[in-house]
Amino acid sequence: MIVILLLSLLSIFGSPTKIFQEGVLVTSVESNSTASNEGLQKGQIIEFVDGKKVTSLEDYLLIMNQKFPSENNLKTVINTKDSEIIFFTNDFPEITVSEIPKTNLVTGLDISGGSRALVKPQDVSLSSEETNDLVDLIRNRFNVYGIEDVSVSKVSDLSGDEYVRVEIAGTTPEDLRALISEQGKFEAKIGEEVVFVGGEKDITSVARSGEQAVIESCQKSTEFYFCNFRFTIFLSEDAAKRHADITSKLGTNSSADGNYLSKKLDLFIDGKLVDSLFINEGLKGQVTTQISITGSGFGETEDDAYEDAFNSMNRLQTILITGSLPYKLEIVKLDTISSSFGDEFSKSILIAGIVSLFAVSIFVFLRYRNFKSSLALIFTSISEVIIILGIASLIRWNLDLPSIAGILATIGTGIDQQIIILDESREKSSSINFRLKRALVIIVAAYFTGLVAMIPLYWAAAGFFKGFALTTIIGITAGVLITRPAFSDIVKKIQKD
Amino acid sequence: MNTQNIKQKIIKFHDKNYKLLLLLPLSVFLLSIFYLFSFYSANNDFIYKDFSLSGGTSITIQGNIDAAKLENELSSQLENLNTREIYDLITREKTGIIIQTSSEQEMTKKILEDYVGYELNEKNSSFEFISAGLSENFYKQLIMAILAAFLFMGIVVFIIFRTFIPSIAVIISVIADIIMTLVFVDILGIKMSAPGLVAFLMLIGYSVDTDILLTNRILKRHEGTVNRKIFNAFKTGISMTATSILAILSALFVVSSFSIVLTQIFSVLIIGLFFDIFNTWVTNTSLIKWYVEKHEN
Repeated sequence: MIVILLLSLLSIFGSPTKIFQEGVLVTSVESNSTASNEGLQKGQIIEFVDGKKVTSLEDYLLIMNQKFPSENNLKTVINTKDSEIIFFTNDFPEITVSEIPKTNLVTGLDISGGSRALVKPQDVSLSSEETNDLVDLIRNRFNVYGIEDVSVSKVSDLSGDEYVRVEIAGTTPEDLRALISEQGKFEAKIGEEVVFVGGEKDITSVARSGEQAVIESCQKSTEFYFCNFRFTIFLSEDAAKRHADITSKLGTNSSADGNYLSKKLDLFIDGKLVDSLFINEGLKGQVTTQISITGSGFGETEDDAYEDAFNSMNRLQTILITGSLPYKLEIVKLDTISSSFGDEFSKSILIAGIVSLFAVSIFVFLRYRNFKSSLALIFTSISEVIIILGIASLIRWNLDLPSIAGILATIGTGIDQQIIILDESREKSSSINFRLKRALVIIVAAYFTGLVAMIPLYWAAAGFFKGFALTTIIGITAGVLITRPAFSDIVKKIQKD
Repeated sequence: MNTQNIKQKIIKFHDKNYKLLLLLPLSVFLLSIFYLFSFYSANNDFIYKDFSLSGGTSITIQGNIDAAKLENELSSQLENLNTREIYDLITREKTGIIIQTSSEQEMTKKILEDYVGYELNEKNSSFEFISAGLSENFYKQLIMAILAAFLFMGIVVFIIFRTFIPSIAVIISVIADIIMTLVFVDILGIKMSAPGLVAFLMLIGYSVDTDILLTNRILKRHEGTVNRKIFNAFKTGISMTATSILAILSALFVVSSFSIVLTQIFSVLIIGLFFDIFNTWVTNTSLIKWYVEKHEN
């Protein structure tokens, strides 16, 4: 058992060298940024910046804050373990970094913070394949919007329903709800006729940066600030021809700003009118492949307005690029968990565990009056927890609240079974081996009842309690195969003395 | 009187009356069934359900907010409002408040933002929302899981002991344990959550352990009288249940300061463990003793 214990510790904390690794971890690099173009990637560890050693997040931020923003492009040298990356920029490099995680334990949203949503199509039931398509589409939408670190998967439960589960660790995007559930049905109409719709058939590409996608200006009105954005989209030939046909039939109106066609280009999302664009007279009957889409965002301060405009533009671009969902989605579960709760939570759970173990050890000592046995019991229980955590980090299992409850459950059964062994060992009849075997019979019986009780839970309730079922099953199995036999050996040794 | 004498007296009493003793759990059981039926007709279900099983929102807000005041002011706007303050373990300083309601998420968020006067975002709060449809789904499935677990457990027990009456005795004890716990939880007015139901599942496991211990010791050991075997099993079994209760009780003190979910799970377990003592050492014991005496003759 000692061997397995060490292996588990190894699995949890990683190789000993990792503990001594200093630096900060790159958690994301903005694509197409100067940093990524020079080769900086997610997952690398930054050890030096401009020759100065970086040992913590504070070090990194200090150096960056001293340099940026600056008037001129500054040379920045970043050293990772295997490479040196040099680039020039006048503002903060678009890199997010974090402290290197101390353990290999993958903590679930309940602890590290993030959002989780469960969606299902409204009024429609999908085939398995259609659900897989939906999963891809949603993931694509998030990626286009700019969120790479999202997990989208299909979940089914005991009643045969299928859902799509979306999980984003860390910060929650502003419009998470809209992003997931908006059907995103985009239509551009002139009068009653549809000129083009969202998706790659009609829209070949959408400008996302540079001169063709900008936030143009901001103004203050009576109570709020407004910021206007503009970006260009490129229509396919078919869509452009449609535009030409429809506009050729329109008349013109003159106004102070110029001559425009009698009808406007109306933009609808999910049936709601979001914008109405004037069409310049010069475009009448013309096969034009470029269309300028405008819109605005608002807020109480100029910064808020800017951010709102940026988000609106981003959303619009996403819908235009990815097209619409063929059906409406309903969000049946939505959790957003603040990361600040996580640390408190882990600390408290640890304290709860220690307090319990302490109370139990006092009882065991009083009951058995044998210091060594009590010590052995406590040691075995703690080892069991470490082994479960070791296995969990090995299979990269997400430790969420139900998983932790499962671990607590296992500690309880573990202690029960150790007591059975202890009692058996104190009897005076037959040989110790025989008695220990008898104890093991009861324990194996208890194991199987526990196992079968957990199995239905694995699939029930859209997999939300899978963590509990899994950690409990791992725990009791490790108990029966590893810690219980180990404890028997320890007890045997104690008896011999 | 020394312990020997007391032991003799208990054994004599038990030998004479152990069958009559069964009346005790039987009457409690019948009362429980009766209670559950009247509960059902009053509430259309066997348990009170919280937002996770009937649909609704739970919001945890950081900061020092008076729960009673909030509940007073907002209970007219938020349906089935329920609040709880959370504390730092050591300093006993209030760190936040958990608000549960069956009202819908966006509306609840708006009402709370108006009340506290600032925006609730991920830096200062956590949200959990579940639709009525999904939660009903969860409820049905968790019940199914519990019933399935019962069934599987029963099958395993039969396979282990291979004799009818002792196996049935074990199953009856576990059923009685769960039902009595359920009734007690209802009497206390506890609103069950999804994790709370999972606690019942855990209880099946804990409960059956002591029954298996008892039955195994009585059926498979061949030295000593029935009473001696029962007594030894009792020593071990009580230690098991006592350590479990002790462990969970101490954990309960810690978690009640910060987690409604864990508090509920542990409370259900403790109630169940106490009833387990009753059902293993009165119900199951009398039944198995009856079987053995009958079998021996």
